[in-house]
Amino acid sequence: MQSENAVQTMNLTKTFKSKIQTSETKFYNRKTISVNAIDHLNLEIKKGELFGLLGPNGAGKTTLVKMLCTLLPPDSGTALINGYDIIKDQMKVKRSLGTLFSVGERGFFWRLNGYRNLEFYASIYNVPRQKRHERILEVLKLVGLDNSTFQLYQKYSGGMKRKLALARTLLPDPPIMMLDEPTTGLDAISSRNIRDFVKSTVQETGKTVLYTTHYIEEAAQICTKIGILKQGQIVALDTPYALRDKIKKSELIYLIVEELSPPQLENMRSIQGVIDITEKNGEDLMSSQKGLCVELQSVDQLPSIFDFLFEQKIKLVNFKREEPSLEDAFIELTKKA
Amino acid sequence: MTVWGELEKIWYFMKRDMVSFATYKTNMLVLLLTAVFGALSFAYLGQSAVSQSVLQSYHIDFTTYLVIGLAFNTYLGQALTLVQKTINPWALEEVLVSPTGLSTFIIGSSIWGFIWSTGVVAIYLAIGVFFFGVSLSVNIIGTLIVLALGIGTFIGFSMIGSGILILTKQGDPVTALITIATSLFGNVLFPPQILPPVLKAIAYITPPYYFFTCIRLMLTGWTIPMILPDLEILALMCAIIVPLGYFIYAWCLKTARKNGTLSWF
Repeated sequence: MQSENAVQTMNLTKTFKSKIQTSETKFYNRKTISVNAIDHLNLEIKKGELFGLLGPNGAGKTTLVKMLCTLLPPDSGTALINGYDIIKDQMKVKRSLGTLFSVGERGFFWRLNGYRNLEFYASIYNVPRQKRHERILEVLKLVGLDNSTFQLYQKYSGGMKRKLALARTLLPDPPIMMLDEPTTGLDAISSRNIRDFVKSTVQETGKTVLYTTHYIEEAAQICTKIGILKQGQIVALDTPYALRDKIKKSELIYLIVEELSPPQLENMRSIQGVIDITEKNGEDLMSSQKGLCVELQSVDQLPSIFDFLFEQKIKLVNFKREEPSLEDAFIELTKKA
Repeated sequence: MTVWGELEKIWYFMKRDMVSFATYKTNMLVLLLTAVFGALSFAYLGQSAVSQSVLQSYHIDFTTYLVIGLAFNTYLGQALTLVQKTINPWALEEVLVSPTGLSTFIIGSSIWGFIWSTGVVAIYLAIGVFFFGVSLSVNIIGTLIVLALGIGTFIGFSMIGSGILILTKQGDPVTALITIATSLFGNVLFPPQILPPVLKAIAYITPPYYFFTCIRLMLTGWTIPMILPDLEILALMCAIIVPLGYFIYAWCLKTARKNGTLSWF
């Protein structure tokens, strides 16, 4: 029976050793330190999922991608890609994968045009010779480079180079794609184009995508599921909305009121269910107005607040329920772990 | 994948290098001019040289000796450099994640360097023949055998050099060493028989000496049985250096992959 997982890691571990020189030691007496880049990682990515792997710099995202595409051997544990073991079935793993590295420009030949570069890669990725020409034109059109097919690679802009790298990833039509920080260093428009393209590709073709990024909102926009990686371990794994909810312990309400005296504020703090009230200064506030961030145990306590304002004849100018952002969740979850 | 499939990949590696190389028109012109002027100047030197006596063992004139030596020295020099450029570590990651084997990658990446260098050799020899009266009598099969053994040996050295480069991230001492050894002991500009005994002994343990001796004799009317002792030593060296080079290259690659330092440049 075929597994429903496109990617599955089992106690995957990678430790790097590096020599460092501290102020106490001489250059010939350097200390060797071990860094757990990936630490007994167990992760499952279902077929057809657009999985976002989020993590701060040095969290182990690129190391994980390199291990999954067989470039980096694990110290212990293993992983299955499309059901194939990354240690025992390397060729089958490679045939199942398209990988885009964060520095994808390295493998291209600057003196060749886009078409010739892809022609070379089509050959080494075993794209059938009869379909090669058609496929190259197809992927170039998909990524929006059909007008620059025969332009020399060295004349491509940064965005075009990244798109060509994406085209190379798509060339063998792999069921699984690993995109390692595909938008790093790109302008906002190019980044959005790539995100939209990845999202529509997954929706239309049912491919599985592992998308690593350290841009939180980027992951929230396109990914169906997000894993937060810290020091080689997944510290949170859920949908973007569920991750937001995970850190939501209380309800936050933002109020703008008029003519609120300090004693009234103190009385407001003593209302049952109110955890805390902090004053917020904003440029949009008039001198008679106060911005209040009210933290409630639950949204059920909200009528008590309104009753209090009504009784005290305090004018309510504006009211907003504040949701924690994915960024808040990211910071909170990586801080906790 | 079938053998035909792998051969096709090798063709695309070569095509990639050839198209890329052809865009460096100035470099190509400089390389060709170097070959032409090299042949002209040294052939002239050969004519005026008075070292005929040391050539008795080869039964050829010094100009023929020198032109063949220089032609194939350029051949190996350019081939070594071009091969090393294409199996360098910074182009590796993208190939290693593809379903292409290491052997296909090395062979495919090496071919263009040798094809280009073969053209350069042809120019050298043509100039020698048409302008300086170099007399060639080519034993085609013997020449191909010697070339195959020589190319194999030098690809072996390239693999060792590139492997070291993958680990050290700095200069490649092997290519430099081979270049020096070839110039001094390789039977390129003068026969090592004129060297002092110690240096002569070194010459006899370096592959370039056997390659240049055999190729020179195969181009000047000798037969395979006549050069068999030297050819056997060259074949033995090739049989040791090629697998050794592959092993070292694969080991260095594996170590760099394990340490995660493959792309550290």
